[in-house]
Order: sequence, then C-alpha cells, then structure tokens
Amino acid sequence: MKKIVAIFLVVSFVAGSALASCSVITGSFEESAKEITLISYDAFTPSEGIFDDFTAATGATVRVVTAGDTGSMVSKAILTSGNPEGDVMFGIDNTFLSRAQSGNVLLDYTPVDESDVCLNYDKAWFESRGITPPQTFEDLALPTYKGLLTAPDPVNSAPGFAFLVASIEHFGEGKWQNYWKQLKANGVRISSDWTAAYTIDFSGSSGKGKYPLVVSYGSSPTAEVLFSATPLTTAPTGVVTATCFKATEYVGVLRGSRNEDLAQKLVDYLLAQKFQESMPTSLFVYPVNTDAVLPDVFVKHAVRPATSSTPSAEKIEKNRDQWIDTWRNIFL
Amino acid sequence: MNSVARTAQRLQVLVVALLALFFAFPVLSMLAEFARPQDIIDTLTASSLRGVWWFTLWQAVASTALTLAVGLPFTWAISRHTFRFSRLLTALITIPFFMPAVVVATGIKAILPAAGIPAILWAHVVFNVAIVVRIVGPQWLLLDKAMEDTAADLGAGRVRTFLYVVVPHIGESLRNAAAIIFLYCFTSFAVITILGDISHRTIESEIFTQAIRLGDTRTATSLAVVQAIVVLLVLRWGNPASREPRTATQTIQMLTTSRTPFGLALFFSVAVPALVVVSPLVAVIIRSFTLNGQFSLRGYQWLFDGSTEAVGVNIPQTLMTSLFFAAICAVLAPIAALIISVAQQRSSIVASITALPLVVSAVTFGLGLIIAFDQSPVNWRSQWWLIPVVHSVLALPLAVRAIRPALDAIPDDLSDAAASLGAHPWRSWRHIEFPLLQPALIRAVGLSAAISLGEFGATSFLSRNDTTTIPIAIAQLLGRPGDVTSQSAFALAALVVIVFALAPQVRRHQ
Repeated sequence: MKKIVAIFLVVSFVAGSALASCSVITGSFEESAKEITLISYDAFTPSEGIFDDFTAATGATVRVVTAGDTGSMVSKAILTSGNPEGDVMFGIDNTFLSRAQSGNVLLDYTPVDESDVCLNYDKAWFESRGITPPQTFEDLALPTYKGLLTAPDPVNSAPGFAFLVASIEHFGEGKWQNYWKQLKANGVRISSDWTAAYTIDFSGSSGKGKYPLVVSYGSSPTAEVLFSATPLTTAPTGVVTATCFKATEYVGVLRGSRNEDLAQKLVDYLLAQKFQESMPTSLFVYPVNTDAVLPDVFVKHAVRPATSSTPSAEKIEKNRDQWIDTWRNIFL
Repeated sequence: MNSVARTAQRLQVLVVALLALFFAFPVLSMLAEFARPQDIIDTLTASSLRGVWWFTLWQAVASTALTLAVGLPFTWAISRHTFRFSRLLTALITIPFFMPAVVVATGIKAILPAAGIPAILWAHVVFNVAIVVRIVGPQWLLLDKAMEDTAADLGAGRVRTFLYVVVPHIGESLRNAAAIIFLYCFTSFAVITILGDISHRTIESEIFTQAIRLGDTRTATSLAVVQAIVVLLVLRWGNPASREPRTATQTIQMLTTSRTPFGLALFFSVAVPALVVVSPLVAVIIRSFTLNGQFSLRGYQWLFDGSTEAVGVNIPQTLMTSLFFAAICAVLAPIAALIISVAQQRSSIVASITALPLVVSAVTFGLGLIIAFDQSPVNWRSQWWLIPVVHSVLALPLAVRAIRPALDAIPDDLSDAAASLGAHPWRSWRHIEFPLLQPALIRAVGLSAAISLGEFGATSFLSRNDTTTIPIAIAQLLGRPGDVTSQSAFALAALVVIVFALAPQVRRHQ
C-alpha cells in the first residue's frame, strides 16, 4: 500500500507543480488588470507609440496579438467564445461578421474603418513587356494574363472572400462558377492568405514574387510609396477600379473579456480622432470618424473607386456557405 | 489474486473513469449532438465531397505502395544479410517514426519548397518505412534461409522464390504493415496541413476545415463517422490482434543470416531507403543554417530574441510549455498503462478499450473535445491542463503496448517462488517484477513524451497563444511570410530532429 501512497504523492506533486507553473504559463492573464489585449489580423501594424495616450489616461498597456488572417482570427475566436484570448477584437469585416455573430464572439461591434478590396498590378512589369494591365474581371480570364494573378484563399482571407463576392456580384448567380473555372484554367494562384499573396507572391511589393497581379486594396499603392527605399512621386502599383468591393471593418469587445470597462475604453480610443487619423498611413484604411483628416500621401496615392460592389450583409450571410463550398469544389 | 493485483484493479476504476470522461464523453457527445444518418449518407453522396474521398483514398494507397516498395528491400537486406552498420542503419531509418509529423513534413518542405503531391507521398514514406521494417522484419528473419536455397536449387528464379516461398511466410505481417501504413496515411493531418494546398484535401483535413474554418460541425461529424468506419474495417482486415511484431532473438539472426559480400542489389536496397528517409532530416538542419543561400544563424537568433513574437509565437514559452506537457504525459500515460496492464493481466477487455483512441482520429477527438467541454460544469476547453491530459489519452494505447508484453513475459514461478519463501506480494513486486519491467516502463515514458511533443491533430483545436506547443509553433511560423520567419521554423524543427536523434531512449528502442 505504501507504494501506492508514494505514487499518489508523486502524482499530486506533479499536479501541484503543474498548477504552479500554470500560473507562470498563463500568468499574463492573471497578473494584472494593467494590461489589455487587442487581437487583430496579421496585417495590423499600428503606428509606433499610438497607444501611449491610452496608457497615460488609463494606466493600462495595450498588448497586440496577431492571429493570422481574418478567417483564422474569427475561427479561433469562435473556438474560444466566452473565454477569449484577449479583450478587444479589431478588424472582423462585413464578409466575416456573420460567422462571428453566429459564434457569439463579440459583446457588441461597431464600424472602425473602411477600405476597398481591388485588383492591384505591378506597373513596371506591364510597362517593360508592353502589355496593357487588365481593366475588368473578364480580362483576367484572357490568355494575355495567363499565370499572372495571385489571390488569397477566400476560406481564410477577408479580401480573398471579398474578391469572390465582388465577382459573384459582377457575373451573377449561376454564371460566376464558370468564370472561376476559367480563372483556374488560366493559372490563378490561390495563396493561403492575403499576407502571403501580397508580400510573397506579388512582384510589385517586398517579396518580389512572380505574379504581377494581386488581390489587395485600393490603398495598397500608398504603402508602396511610403515604404519605398527611394522617394517616389507616383506609386509603383496600380488599381483596377472595376474590380473593387467595399469592405467595412469592425471593432468590438470580446464576450468573456476579463475587463469589459477597460476594453470598452480601448474601443472608444480606437474610434477617436487620434487613432482614426493614424490608420490611413499605418493600416492603409479609411477612417470612419468624420473628424479625422486624411494625410496628403493617402489622398494622392490611394484609389477610391467611384462605385464599389456592396452586397447587403443579409445576402452575404445567406449565401456564404454555399458560395465557399462551390468555390472550393472548383479548386479541388 | 494477491494484493498487488487487487490494488491495481481498484485503481483501474479510476483510469477507466478518466478515459470515459476525457475520451468517451467528448466523442459520444459529438455523435449525439451532430451525427444524423441522413447527413452521413449525404457526405458519401455529395458531389462536393467526392473529390475529397477520392484524393484521401488514392494518396493513402499510393503512399502505402511506395512505402512497401522502399521498405521491403531494406527489410530483405537486414533480415537476410549481415553487414557493417546494419544495426545503425536500422536505427536511423526508424527514427522518423517517433518524430513529430510536422517536423518530417518540414524536412520535405526544405527539399521541395513547392510541396504538392510528391512531397506528401514522400513524407508518408519517411514516416512509415519503420513500420515495414519492424513488423515484417522479424517475420522474415524467422524464415529459414534453407527453404529459399532449396527453391533456388530446384530451379526457381528469384521472383518465383520470393512469390512462392517468402510471401506466404511473411504474408500476414505484410498485411498488418500495409493496413497500419494505410491508416496512418488515410488519417494524415499534419503532413497535409504543412505540404498540401487547397487542391489536396483529405477527410481528416476536411473535418478540420469544415468544423473550424467553415463552422459546419454537422458535416465534420458525419465525415468523422464514415472515416472511423473505414478505419475499423481496415483494422479488421489487417488483423490488429497480431499487430505486435514477434520479436526474434539475436541467436536466430546468427543462424539464418550470413555475412554477405556487399553486392549491388544489397547496396541499393539499403542506400535508397536510407537516402529517402534521412535526407529530409538532414535538409531541415542544413536549411536552418541557410538564409538566401548563405550561412546564417538568424533563424536561431530569432527563436530566442523575441522576434517571432511579432508573428504571434513566443518560442521560449512554447519550448517550456511543450516540455512541461511532455513531462506530464510521460508520467500519466505510463502509470495508467501499468495499472491497466497489472489489473488485466489475463484479459483483453481494457486493453481493447485503450486501443479506441487509435480508431478515432486525432482531429475527430479534438473536435469532440471542443464540442463537449464548452459549458459548465465542464467548461474546460480553454484550460491548459486539458492538452497534456489529451496527450496522455492518445499515448495510453502505445504505453500499454510497451508494458504488457514485458509483463506477460515475466514467468509466474518467479513471484510464486518469492511468495513461498514468505515475501509479501508488494515486496516481491518491488524486487522482482518492477526491476524486470523497468526497461519497458522507460520505453513507455519515452514513447509518451514523444507523442506529447509531436501531437498535432487534437492539439490544434485546443492550443491558445499561451499554450502553443512546438509542432503548432512550427506550423504557424511556416505559414507566415518572411525569409527569416521560415528559417526560424526550420531552426525549431532542427532542434527537434537533433533531440529525437540523440535521445538515448529512441536508440535503445530500436
């Protein structure tokens, strides 16, 4: 019997030390209310020191955790619904909002920024070959543009899904399937997410990849100007305005946040003028706060299409699963 | 029955209760909540899933065939010939079997960055060659060489000799091996996650995508049910009861094999498998020191200077977490296995219960866990301790398999003799059985730790930012852009390769 007692002592010792180290492992949660966690997608790169004022006002520091592309972020949030990995979620857009709501992820949500998902092209690539960049959705299926387009997977990626929805709006129910079959035959590359498509595959950005056409944003050229090693007067990339989809991103307090009051304060801060004015040149999106003034570089290089595809939230919610299912089967 | 067995029988109630809570309950509540006959039929007939079934099947068949093609010549070489380094080579070729699937897949990615079907098949071969060697090898070793010689003397060619003398003899073990390899490839998840893209979907990865990415738990559950049925059928066909490789002793090897001149046939049957299996592991290490074609330590530097936190992975914390989970699993699983083995020395009921986690795939299990443990009083799915407990459940069958044969091999007369000399059963246990079991126990500890360190399918449902394990971290790093980020993924994988290659337990296990 002694042996058993000994074994149990060992087990309970292990369990005890486990509990102890648990508090080390998960310490970041327990440790203080002085920290608030903001969860966002990979491309969330706020301006340096932008949260200093928030910390000064509330005494709480903001920890930013990136969770992959919007799809991964929302999936993870649904898995941890009610016991979230942070307090505030930034950047669920109108294409993913219905999923987040059915997963009961957010306490509330409010629009925080707007952007246009549009086809981008590498100007130098097309100029050096004497080829005119595509103008329309239809052009992308032409032999001239074979093997030139990279698009993010609509299952994971908000802009990827937005582009799919824009094409569905353009061609109409029943016809878009054929269009995507043509794109597939024309060698479209499907990347795992926007970051991979834009920063690895696309020839016009940092990755210097092989694809001169990419699904990105109307504001992406601004980023290329701002981050260029040499000063530029015109953007090295262009936008195909006939392919745009108007995306709205939301911010909200996660259900189960350990500090709802502070989380709400952070949401307010994100909606206030200072942060909103910082967004165009850090996140490359348009502010929703009408007091926020757009910086010159943004006004000059970001492309705002006259008309954007804007299907209703109800339509997206109703058809989302079936669209994705059909699309995935085209690519199986 | 003595007091040792009685205590074990009392304790096994606890083990079975824990298994019921952490295995049966999640799986059954998933079935109860989401499995509907009509949905299950739909998943079989839906045109949208036909491609998934087809790919899953053919890649598993192709992987099995390739594995046998690579593994059988090697098995022939080591069981029919004695040559220098044969034991070292066998050890080398069986290492990947214990290695995290994510790491093996990362190795293939280091060689074939574009991945695709060749990469997936290659990864499956690397993984499973060990199964051929370890299951078919002992059987082949037992075949008397004289029979082959006689056949040859009677004028049978090599092919005829192989087909009519060797195959009937090793047939059963061949079928066992093929069934197990098929199942590993059929339910492959980590390899598909790392090396596949949207056109490479297996049932296992589809269960994950449907449940997590698309939020369609019903389709996911239906797929899981059909998958489990296929697994059961294949297991039956492969006759898992005799799945334990019969161990051949060194003496037999001395008798039936002779030192052979290192001919061309022998060279290729050894060199090709060795190259196929070892090159991905070497590639990981080389790649971990290479940035844009130049030697660089940046990948390693990034692991430890906090740079990877920018992409949401804290490596020092990940290493601590993984080792800590492995330690818990290495304690829990062998203790539970020991209790069950002692309590059920003469019956196979509980042993088959513990084999259930082999039938239910890791992803199915993970899905069941997040469905079942999401409301009070069992709102545990975000609790860190659930991960090592789940690892222990998954490690238990293998730990039992490591311990039971050793326990069965202890002759009853030993403890009888001790008892007749007046030793209390506990004393006899301590001085006789326990020391005899020690190697098997150590093996169980090593296996359990290895499983915890490599588990990917179920963990991907449970891990959170602060409980990321090594395979999850590698997969995350590989999925993010940037040269240095992927170099640090290779660096992390290289660390695992080195640890697994050097772990003395892995060596002793061969």
